[in-house]
Amino acid sequence: MSKFIKAFSRHLWIQFKMDIRERGTLLTYYLLPLVFYFIVGSVFVSINPASKQTLAFSMTIFAVTMGAVLGMPAPVVKMSESEVLRAYKVCGIPGWATLLVHAVSAFLHLSIVSLVILLTAPVVFGAGIPTNYASYFAVLFILLFCNIAIGLLIGVSAKNQSAATLLSQAVFLPTVMLGGIMFPASMLPGALRTLGYLIPATYAMQSFSGYAFGLPIGVDAALSLMVLTLIGIAAAILVVLKSKAVKTE
Amino acid sequence: MSVSDENIIKISGLVKRYGDVTAVNGISLSVGKGEVFGLLGPNGAGKTTTLECLEGMRRSDGGTLELGGCDPQADESRLRRILGVQLQSSSLPEGLRPGEAMSLICAWHGLPARLDLLERFGLTGQNRKQYRELSEGQKRRLHLALALACDPSVVILDEPTAGLDVQGRAQLHDAIRELKNSGVTILLATHDMAEAESLCDRIAIMIRGRIAVTGSPAQITASGLAETRIIISTKNDCLLPGKDTKNARFLRQTDNYGIWLCSDTAAAVMELLGEVQADKDTVEDLRVERPSLEERFLELVEGGTRS
Repeated sequence: MSKFIKAFSRHLWIQFKMDIRERGTLLTYYLLPLVFYFIVGSVFVSINPASKQTLAFSMTIFAVTMGAVLGMPAPVVKMSESEVLRAYKVCGIPGWATLLVHAVSAFLHLSIVSLVILLTAPVVFGAGIPTNYASYFAVLFILLFCNIAIGLLIGVSAKNQSAATLLSQAVFLPTVMLGGIMFPASMLPGALRTLGYLIPATYAMQSFSGYAFGLPIGVDAALSLMVLTLIGIAAAILVVLKSKAVKTE
Repeated sequence: MSVSDENIIKISGLVKRYGDVTAVNGISLSVGKGEVFGLLGPNGAGKTTTLECLEGMRRSDGGTLELGGCDPQADESRLRRILGVQLQSSSLPEGLRPGEAMSLICAWHGLPARLDLLERFGLTGQNRKQYRELSEGQKRRLHLALALACDPSVVILDEPTAGLDVQGRAQLHDAIRELKNSGVTILLATHDMAEAESLCDRIAIMIRGRIAVTGSPAQITASGLAETRIIISTKNDCLLPGKDTKNARFLRQTDNYGIWLCSDTAAAVMELLGEVQADKDTVEDLRVERPSLEERFLELVEGGTRS
C-alpha cells in the first residue's frame, strides 16, 4: 500500500507540473476562466448589482465546468491516440492509475482557481461571501467530482480529438446558457428551464445558494446536492465501464 | 555471457485472430536464457501481434505462452517485474522530461530513480528538455532506458531502430550488445536483415502468421537455394565474354567484371583461376559473395512457406 501511495504521489506531482507546462491545459484551467471571471464580473456587477450575491459561486461553477469539461478530455484522448497509455502500461503503470492521476491533478488545479475566485470576488467586486464555509467546500467538492467525472467520461468515450471537442462543447455551452450562470434560470422560457434541469450546473447553483450562501432557491438544496452527486457517480461508473471495454480491446 | 539451454520464453501453438483474419496461426518457438532471438517477417506477418501477446497487451485465441515462468496473460504484475518492453510505436506525454519519466516508472516499480540508465544511454544532458524536444534517436533510447528500469531478465524490442539515422542505429546496437553481455534475454522484431545478422543468436522468419524457418542466421542463409557468386576482373579480360564452365554458371558481365554462380565454390574458383593462368592473364579483382540473409528472406517470402 505504501508503495502504491508513494508511486501515486510521485505520479501526481509530475502530472501537476506537466499540466502547468502545457499551454492548452494552462489556458483552460486557469487563464480563460479567470480572465472571463474578471471581465464578466465587472460587467455583471455594473449592470445588475444584485448579481454580487451569486457572483462568487456562479463564476466558480463556470471555471470548474470549463476546466473539467473543455480542458480535461483532450489530453486524455491524446494519451490514448499517441499510445502513451500503452507505453505506461508496459512500464508497469496501470491505465486506471493514469486516469485517476489526471483526475486528481485536475481537481487540484480547479480547486486553486475556485479559491482564487472565492478570495478575490468579495475584495474586487464586493461579492457575497459564504455564510457557511464548510457547506461551501462540501458543495465545491461535489461540483469538482461531478464535472471531472464528466470530463473523464468524454475523454475515454471520444474516438479522437475532434469528437472530444464536439462532445465537450455539447456539454459546456448548455451549461453556460441554461445552468443559471450567466443569468437566473427563472428568466428562461419554460421549455429551456426544463432542459436546464438536465444540467449539473443547475443543481450546483441551487446547492451553493441554499447551503453555502443562505439565498432563496427554487429547488430543495438537499435534493440538488443529491442529484449532483448522483450525476457524478453515474459518470464515474461509466468511466470505469468504458475503460474496461477499451482494456479488453 | 553465454546462452543457456534453459528456455525463458516458450510459445506453443499460439493463435490470434482479428475477426475473420488469423494474424498468428499456431506458432511455436522457444528462446533460451541470455539469447538474442530475432523475429523477422514482412509487414503483416504477425510479429507484433506475437510480441503483444507475450507482453500481455493482447489476449490470444489459442495456445500457451510462458515468459520467465509466468503466464503473461494471467500474471501481469509479475510479468512487469521481469519484462522490459520497447514498443514499435509509443510515446510519452509531450511535457515530460527524461528524468521525470525515469522517476515515474521507477516509482511504480517501487525503486529509486535509475538515473544511471539515463547516463548509460547518453540522456543525462537532455534532462531539461521535454519529450517533444528530443530527437527520434533520443526518444528511442529513452524508451529503452525506461524498459530497463526494473532490471528485467527479458527485453522485447519491436523494431527498435526503425526511422533512426546511422549514428542512432549504431548507438542502439551497442546498447543491445551491452544488454546481451549482461545476460539479458532479448526478443527482437526487425525488418533489418543486417541488424538481425549482426545481433541475433537465432532468428525465426514469420510469413502469414506462421514460422517459415528457425535457426542461426548462418544456418538460415545456408539452407537457401541461392548460389554463391564469384566476381572476377582480369587485366586482359581473358574470361570475357563469359561462358558456363563445369562448376560455374555464367550470370552476366558488368563493366570489366564477369559474374558466375556456383554451388561448389572452391572448385569453381580453381577452375576460373586455371583459365586465367592458362591465358597468361592476371587477376585484378576477385570476390566471392555468399548468399545473404536478405536473399534467403526474399526467397522465403516470395516463394511461400518452406521449412
